Amino acid sequence: MRASLSTLPGRIGIVIAVALLVAWSLGPIYWSLVTSLTPPLHLLGTPSLWPQQISFEHYAKLFGATSMSQGNAVQSVWPQFSAALTNSLITSGLATVVTVAIAAFGAYAFVRLEFPGRDLLFVAVVATLAIPAYTVMIPLYRLMISLKLIDTYTGITLIYVSAFLPLALWLMRSVYQAMPISLEEAAWLDGAGRVYTLVYIVLPLSAPGLIASAILTFLNAWGQFMVPLVFSPTLATKPLTVLIPEFVTRNYIDFGLMNAAGILAIIPPVLLVLFLNRYLVSGLMAGATK
Amino acid sequence: MATVDIHRLVKRYGAEEVIHGIDLAIRDGEFISLIGASGCGKSTLLRMIAGLEDISGGTISIDGREVNDVAPKNRDIAMVFQNYALYPHLSVADNMGFSLKLRDVPKPEIARAVKEAADLLGLTPYLDRMPKALSGGQRQRVAMGRAIVRKPRVFLFDEPLSNLDAKLRVQMRTEIKALQRRLGTTSIYVTHDQIEAMTMSDRIVILNGGRVEQVGAPLDVYDRPGNLFVATFIGSPAMNLIEATTRHDGDRLFAETDDGLRLPLDGYAMANEAEVTVGIRPEHFAFTDAGAPGALPIAVDLIEPTGHETHVFGRLGRHQVVVAHSGRVAEAASIFVTIAPGGLHLFDRTSGRRINTIERT
Repeated sequence: MRASLSTLPGRIGIVIAVALLVAWSLGPIYWSLVTSLTPPLHLLGTPSLWPQQISFEHYAKLFGATSMSQGNAVQSVWPQFSAALTNSLITSGLATVVTVAIAAFGAYAFVRLEFPGRDLLFVAVVATLAIPAYTVMIPLYRLMISLKLIDTYTGITLIYVSAFLPLALWLMRSVYQAMPISLEEAAWLDGAGRVYTLVYIVLPLSAPGLIASAILTFLNAWGQFMVPLVFSPTLATKPLTVLIPEFVTRNYIDFGLMNAAGILAIIPPVLLVLFLNRYLVSGLMAGATK
Repeated sequence: MATVDIHRLVKRYGAEEVIHGIDLAIRDGEFISLIGASGCGKSTLLRMIAGLEDISGGTISIDGREVNDVAPKNRDIAMVFQNYALYPHLSVADNMGFSLKLRDVPKPEIARAVKEAADLLGLTPYLDRMPKALSGGQRQRVAMGRAIVRKPRVFLFDEPLSNLDAKLRVQMRTEIKALQRRLGTTSIYVTHDQIEAMTMSDRIVILNGGRVEQVGAPLDVYDRPGNLFVATFIGSPAMNLIEATTRHDGDRLFAETDDGLRLPLDGYAMANEAEVTVGIRPEHFAFTDAGAPGALPIAVDLIEPTGHETHVFGRLGRHQVVVAHSGRVAEAASIFVTIAPGGLHLFDRTSGRRINTIERT
């Protein structure tokens, strides 16, 4: 590995691989950005890699009180957009907080507490990851109707938690398994109870795991389309992912508006990852042992 | 300070029994070492005293009160772990004060107790540091400090020095012993290092396969090992063992080997033809001249100088033996030795038990 990295062909290979990877992940975002800045008429012509003329028309349509569309003054979509943005933030945020909290305590139980059927139960929980969401959609819908949870934050959050908890549990379980038990034993002998030890000793040292779980859950929830499409019929809980495709009208697909909204929808998760990334450091355990 | 009484203590993991009914009475203020090879149950025993392992049978009492069902946090015991187990996200001072904070001790008092312990251990300049900024020896001291700050009734040490380098180990050994003397707290110390056990303890407990082989003051155990296991386990190089049969010749008793070697068993009363094992510590051979009475010839295989003494590996008849000499030894094909008075141990070969001389029984 080292040898191949130090040779010139090896380096070129790496550069190409990285370039491909970057193009693969950033390409669509760039395309979206270009589209959102291109005036509507140009969008109908031949696509170009570089916008011929920059226009903030689409963003104005999102933010302004009124805007021009095909020569007519129309209502801006800001009320819908802001409502959906709020819904996205609330449902993703709630799902993240609840999932990480349950995973933090639940995974600990799966690692350190002994109860009959512990491993079986864990496998059962994780195995639900293998069930396609579509197969449970109809029963879940009936269930939500009878619980009167359609189009409520509680309903959406519950579905997200049930969907993302297994992964977070799995992740936190391996984090706890890697932690030397002597730290906890030392705390117990020092006079701490189980919960105190978990909260003041184990959790601070599990921060990287907790943050990774939080990021995964938030991004997963933020990008959800199928679930809110079914369970969030109105703007009471409808998130951006469902709202944005609705900019397709019967006569006209507003590519510019969709892409402008899409670009804005990327911002919150990017900010979150940038913010949490600072805490995603290794080496927290340094100095504990040896 | 407290007494610890262990009565018929049993530990089972599923169907497998790993500790088979141990009895041990530890006196108030005593420093006692549990020593044995890995897997002998010494750490398990310690963890049962701490409350970190369940008790499958028997009882453990601290100061006369049975603690079988008392949670670790309520046993008033402090433990120093092999890997120190410092809280890496807390400063040295917070690590040491953790147990007091849990007891709602007022802050100024915690600070005073931490300061006191830090002074004792030479940790005062490091109180604000994080564990990762400390050396191995300093971390070891913090682990000690965390234990002494709250003045527990019993200290438990689980091989606390095994992660340190040789020089530091010797230094910390002395420090721990001196500290224990000063505090007078009952201490139970698990180690696989017999030098640690011998030098630090008031008494040592030799464990083997979940059973106590012998309990006694270090030198008593060394001078009068109760059985073959203890005889070979304690002492380095290990005691030489020679299998023999007792033989009366006139009014004297000898141990005779199958290759015709005869060792006088003066002071023993034994039946003829008893199967025995003779034990001689390497340092209980004394160099002598070829013609001296009782001189035993040893064919030399290897001479190992260690500096303060020399180990001579060779053969006495067909038996491999080691001779330890407190001086330099010149290269030679053979040497002659005698057995120092009282330097001979006799064991029953079938039971492995020690056989005493008449005046000692």
